[in-house]
Amino acid sequence: MSRVDSRFVWVVACLLLASTAASAHEARPAYLEIKEIAPGQFSVLWRTPVLAGMRLPIVLKLPDDVKNLREPNVQELSDSFVERRWIDAGPTGLAGKRIEFPGLQLTITDVLVRVELLDGRKWTAIIHPSQPWVEIAASQTWLGVAGTYIVQGVRHILFGADHMLFVLGLLLIVKDRWMLLKTVTGFTVAHSITLAIATLGYAEVPVLPLNAAIALSILFLGPEIVRSWRGETSFTIRHPWVVAFAFGLLHGFGFASALTSAGLPRHELPLALVSFNVGVEFGQLGFIALILALERSFRILEVRWPRWAQLLPGYTVGSLGAFWTVQRVALLFGGSR
Amino acid sequence: MNRQRLDPLVRAMALTVFVFLYAQTAFAHPQKGEAVGFLTGFRHPISGLDHVLAMVAVGLWGAQLGAPAIWVLPVAFPMVMAFGGMLGLMGVPLPGTEYGIALSAILLGAVVLFEVRPPLGIAAALVGVFAIFHGHAHGTELPPGQSALLYSMGFVIATGCLHALGIGIGTVHRWSWGQKLLRVAGGLVAVGGTFFMWKAFA
Amino acid sequence: MKSTSRFHLPLYAFIVLAFVMCALPVDAHLYSTGMGPFYDGLMHFLISPEDIVPVLALALLAGLRGASYGRRALFTLPVAWLFGGLAGLSAMTTRPHPFIAAAWFLMLGGLLAADAKVSLRVTTALAALLGVYHGYLDGAGMGQFETASVGLLGLVFAIFVLIALAAAFVVRLRADWARIAVRVAGSWIAASGLLMLGWAVRTR
Repeated sequence: MSRVDSRFVWVVACLLLASTAASAHEARPAYLEIKEIAPGQFSVLWRTPVLAGMRLPIVLKLPDDVKNLREPNVQELSDSFVERRWIDAGPTGLAGKRIEFPGLQLTITDVLVRVELLDGRKWTAIIHPSQPWVEIAASQTWLGVAGTYIVQGVRHILFGADHMLFVLGLLLIVKDRWMLLKTVTGFTVAHSITLAIATLGYAEVPVLPLNAAIALSILFLGPEIVRSWRGETSFTIRHPWVVAFAFGLLHGFGFASALTSAGLPRHELPLALVSFNVGVEFGQLGFIALILALERSFRILEVRWPRWAQLLPGYTVGSLGAFWTVQRVALLFGGSR
Repeated sequence: MNRQRLDPLVRAMALTVFVFLYAQTAFAHPQKGEAVGFLTGFRHPISGLDHVLAMVAVGLWGAQLGAPAIWVLPVAFPMVMAFGGMLGLMGVPLPGTEYGIALSAILLGAVVLFEVRPPLGIAAALVGVFAIFHGHAHGTELPPGQSALLYSMGFVIATGCLHALGIGIGTVHRWSWGQKLLRVAGGLVAVGGTFFMWKAFA
Repeated sequence: MKSTSRFHLPLYAFIVLAFVMCALPVDAHLYSTGMGPFYDGLMHFLISPEDIVPVLALALLAGLRGASYGRRALFTLPVAWLFGGLAGLSAMTTRPHPFIAAAWFLMLGGLLAADAKVSLRVTTALAALLGVYHGYLDGAGMGQFETASVGLLGLVFAIFVLIALAAAFVVRLRADWARIAVRVAGSWIAASGLLMLGWAVRTR
């Protein structure tokens, strides 16, 4: 009876998967930087991401009583739209005033806001569509900055389907706890290293080949999973932590591109970097813990899945890895989407 | 033997804390005005000393009586108390709630003081009658605009935590000095109850 | 032992994955995804006590009865919830009835506190009813958003995970005191239900 039930669940789940796969959105944040250049006067940098030639429909609405000091400067780049303004907000400055982002609530994009005032106060905030405005008021301590980037890190890993898929692939290969510990540590150490290197500007990897390589790392795990089912062995199956470390280096560059594309200021970088990495680890460990807990729960509840359902995850990792690899290599060689 | 008894108690208290922490997440509810309801409900039973004394005394007595009372009382009490609260909310009058609560503190303190050991049914009935008074008096003060659900949960959880506190203190019962200590605590509860009774009359 | 664990892990992992991928990015950017509404639905469940408490009570009740009951609840409730939700999406608006919410608390909490020996059939019926009713309410509430079906999926996923973890947790409990602690939780839920019932009468 429960067998029938479970099959039914899978059919429903698959149908839903198919029907919702099309609803992909852009989650790259917009960026607003406000710097006080003289008392009451600010330079404003406003960057909105451009997706497939379309500007995201977010508008920057400064308080009504600000005056332009100079003509705004608008620049259109291939992946973003950058607007610079120089404004005079009167003697009280922007303190206590509200900056709105009309149109943000129609997207699922966030806005990263960074404010620097002459008195040395700096703060960073992430604005979500549910509340499309920011008030320039409170000061933000280093704790606040750390909190902001930890959240950003957790969100990034939870939103990054390819990173999660890679971790999942590793979990499918790993056989016991000790090996799991080594593998997770390997992945963590490796991506922390490259995340730091890339964010601090010591190395740079072009985005398109990087994406293709990350997809390749997922594809690579597919055959290894099948091999481990068949009871065969290979270098990866014997030493998954080595693979985790090697490909972790790649994934770290991927994290870094997410962090730097948010347009971080240089001097707060170390703190932001560490917080972001901590957030990524939280998200990743949470994901692993959830999978292990679920696996254990199913065992306790003696759930028996049909064979095809047992094979599905491995094949999913492999086929999605292959799909992404082809897609991203095609992008790399100039094919349009 | 002693070890076996302590371990479950410690774990039960951990569970209580866990439930409490879970309930904390209710604060994340988008409607902030409503979420305050949990806090209000949680604070309510703790804020009245007469109520606190009686609740802790229930836990102490349960610990003195040992199994099965130590478990029956915490399972039965919240439901009976909530029943009293429901009567209060429905407008069913219950005369003399203040005297009832003060009396409950005196009597529960006294039974702990003298280590009275009635049959389980009588103990449960005694506690149950008082539970109705406590629920009637305390379950009915929801500020407008707050979630009744969260208020109710907060109220019940706080009461449960007070029982757990009593049972936790009650674990000293396995030492002879602890038994004396418990009886002293019962005496204190009875004295407190007398004070509240005097205040109710004054 | 080790081999069973290995054999089963892929499947379990896949379930998480399946839901994670439900809105897989077709886009080339690594950090883009369509999971916003998915997580919204998930969070909606996690911060709605009127949803989560009855589900938890049912999971604990099924867990007290044994693995087969837990399994039944694990598959019946999310599916029923999904269907209720899909039906609710097309509904205009529905106001949750406070009496029914209180009744669920009271009934499931009471059964749990009493450690009632419910049959497998009753467990299934309870799970299906609870799922359809609450799913319908959730669906009606979310129907105004375009992405509601993805949100519903996130919600159902959260329910699935919660039941799996909670029921398995209770099935593993052998000590008497631990099972009684679970029953105490049930008595708290029932007590909350009683108070809610009182409030519903009062504010009617």
